[in-house]
Amino acid sequence: MSADQTQPAAVGDLPGRRRVAVVTVGVVFWTWLSLRWAYHNTVLDAVATALGVPDLIRSETAVLAREPWLPTAPFANAAETLTAVGADLGPLGLVAEWLAWPFELTAFAIEGGPAMAAGAFITVYLTLASMVLGLAIAVPLSVARVYGGWLVRHISLAYTELVRGTPLLAQLFLLYYGLPLAEEIEGLGFVGEGAVPRAAVFVAIVGFTINSSAYQAEYIRGALQSVDSGQLVAARSIGLSKAAGIRHVVLPQGLRYAIPGWTNEFVYLIKYSSLAAFITVPELFRQARIIASDSFRVTDTYVVVAVLYLALVLTTALAMDRLESAVAVPGLGPADER
Amino acid sequence: MAGIVLQSSDWLFVASNADFLLLGTIVTVLLTITSLSLGFLAGFPMGAIEVYGPDSLRSVVGTVGVVFRGTPIVVLVVVLYFGLPIPQLGTVPALDIQVTPFLAATLALGLRSGAYQSQVFRGAIQSISEGQMEGARSIGMSKLQAIRHVIFPQAIRRSIPGFQNEFTIVLKDTSVAFAIGLAELLTRAENLYLQPGRGTAVMEVILTITAIYFVLTVATNRTLDRLHDRYAIPGGNE
Amino acid sequence: MSLLRLEDVEKSYGTEEVLHGVGFEMDTRDVDVIVGPSGSGKSTLLRCVNRLTEIDGGSIFLDDEDVHAMDENDLRRRVGMVFQDFNLFAHRTAVGNVTLGLTEVLDLPSGEAHDRAMEYLDRVGLAEQADSYPAELSGGQKQRVGIARSLAMDPELILFDEPTSALDPELIGEVLGVMNDLADEGMTMLCVTHEMGFARSAATTLTFLDDGRIVERGPPEQLFDDPEHDRTREFLGDLTEIH
Repeated sequence: MSADQTQPAAVGDLPGRRRVAVVTVGVVFWTWLSLRWAYHNTVLDAVATALGVPDLIRSETAVLAREPWLPTAPFANAAETLTAVGADLGPLGLVAEWLAWPFELTAFAIEGGPAMAAGAFITVYLTLASMVLGLAIAVPLSVARVYGGWLVRHISLAYTELVRGTPLLAQLFLLYYGLPLAEEIEGLGFVGEGAVPRAAVFVAIVGFTINSSAYQAEYIRGALQSVDSGQLVAARSIGLSKAAGIRHVVLPQGLRYAIPGWTNEFVYLIKYSSLAAFITVPELFRQARIIASDSFRVTDTYVVVAVLYLALVLTTALAMDRLESAVAVPGLGPADER
Repeated sequence: MAGIVLQSSDWLFVASNADFLLLGTIVTVLLTITSLSLGFLAGFPMGAIEVYGPDSLRSVVGTVGVVFRGTPIVVLVVVLYFGLPIPQLGTVPALDIQVTPFLAATLALGLRSGAYQSQVFRGAIQSISEGQMEGARSIGMSKLQAIRHVIFPQAIRRSIPGFQNEFTIVLKDTSVAFAIGLAELLTRAENLYLQPGRGTAVMEVILTITAIYFVLTVATNRTLDRLHDRYAIPGGNE
Repeated sequence: MSLLRLEDVEKSYGTEEVLHGVGFEMDTRDVDVIVGPSGSGKSTLLRCVNRLTEIDGGSIFLDDEDVHAMDENDLRRRVGMVFQDFNLFAHRTAVGNVTLGLTEVLDLPSGEAHDRAMEYLDRVGLAEQADSYPAELSGGQKQRVGIARSLAMDPELILFDEPTSALDPELIGEVLGVMNDLADEGMTMLCVTHEMGFARSAATTLTFLDDGRIVERGPPEQLFDDPEHDRTREFLGDLTEIH
């Protein structure tokens, strides 16, 4: 597959003012998430108690079982009032109903908040774990592809093409339903007890790691090939071995060039981690499905979860942008051209 | 490790359901084609607007694009399936699928692909040097004529690698229509191994459909590679 | 009545003033060559004539018609331009580059457009390369296609914006040859160039532009051999030494 040109920017550029809005919303969003995720954190509990809101964090309780922070009544009432007003307006009533919807949605989102936060926690660690483990496989994979001999090169190629040429959902099904991987993991004993997640989560991490390693390897390969070949020659000329030259000269430059691709991959994984819902992992999308089937408010649920995913994706993209300019070598490389 | 053993009886089961899986493959290919077409119809003007449009329109298109590119495809599929008032349109007997989920999946995959294709196309337009526009304007062509006869023909060619990427992505993501029960390849695979007594065939069934997906992506990519070479401008770009 | 008349033309980019009140006239069949150091505003001046750049003050008349009152596409149909970087349409063959304007702007039927394009390619000595794409041509060939593309529109005036500056030295001659032929045939040309040989032999009028102002303007012999200003002597002297 020669279509390995770098993909367009992960989500696209946000114009200046909207960028500020995203940053602001992002800060609120992540504060909410991290407070929600606090588990067995006596310090935070003490702080909350000192501030006069002893029940705010309740870090002894499971995240899912905690209460919403905001009361839903005001929003629900506002929505009801608007609907009631709308009923008297005749044809204009439709407008009132439209205006009522955001309030209804807010009340609904507040109710579902704790469950969604619990789901988002799994989404985030699924993504992070798979990114890191995927990178660990991707680096040797891409080095093999660029600098390896015929056999090694083709093994690496076959791996990436097979993984990139088949649907992630099919890969997850293969691992979870096809292989007895989950049983093996459960056989380890400690899985699913206390803070250790259930076996499905581990299977999902294995799946995402394999998938992500192939994509990351492609990005890194492209980046390595964009490093001037004179760099390795220069490294060899001062007496470094080929391996040492790759390790000390090519990789530090190449990995920097790979950051835009890495952002793409990060965003990709956040989004596609939603597929873990289909192998019973209770991440964000699965929580949404549970809420949807309990409340029968299917569309509302999925709109709320879409907004949460957007918040995760956009804040990640912005943070990666920052990282890219932070580690850029002055005057060098793609970071300056973008 | 009993489950991992690949049994010949299970392979026979897969073989005896070849027709069933073939229908699923046709649905998958059809869904890919309708989605990519919708994506092109939406993405092409979106990309052009992002380069040439007035500021207000550009920011609307840009924001819509960010929303579609930033939301998981499975969420888009369910939001459009449950959220849009698509009437129940019955079934297509020949393919044994329902029209409504097919439409919803086409909309979700198509609009999302459009959001990505607009970026491909925008990048292609922007990669064409300003001199091309000036050359066209200098012989008296209007801006519109210049875009149509000079910029677009070159931008389309430069977009082919990006479109090729999109093709692979959409083809693989048709499997997400599983979430709304559309009888495409993956859904049919599940239908097979969920039949009573066929639980042992999971591995064989999924390996089969994975191979089908792989052959589809490789075959199409090879074809598109040829197309790219065939329509490349001799001697490369200026 | 002059074909082209500039009156007090001013142009700035942001706070930087590029042209401070430039004015001159040229007649049909004139070959007007503008020289000057880089950054003196020569190219900007040319681009103002066919409104690729809009002026900030003064006026420009083509055949006594204010170009700002004209439709810009009509204007450019009457005033051709040849670029330093050729700006050939990368996706069209040499002949395709010439026909595009004929079919789309002049609305000629494609057969007629093709014949006419071939005629002009022949005139610049490129009939045999008609089916080559720009990337397959040498720089000199590209520029000759650029000239043919402009000529085929049958313009009243052609602007040449440093037509040989992007060429390897050994390719400059073929382009200057075509330009000399055009001058001999009576084409009206306004040229920005560093080719002093061409300026001396082909120009009817030579203009020395410096810092957005016309320093001196007159017959080429006068500027080369007996300039009124020291600045002119300095500049032309330097150039003549180099070339």
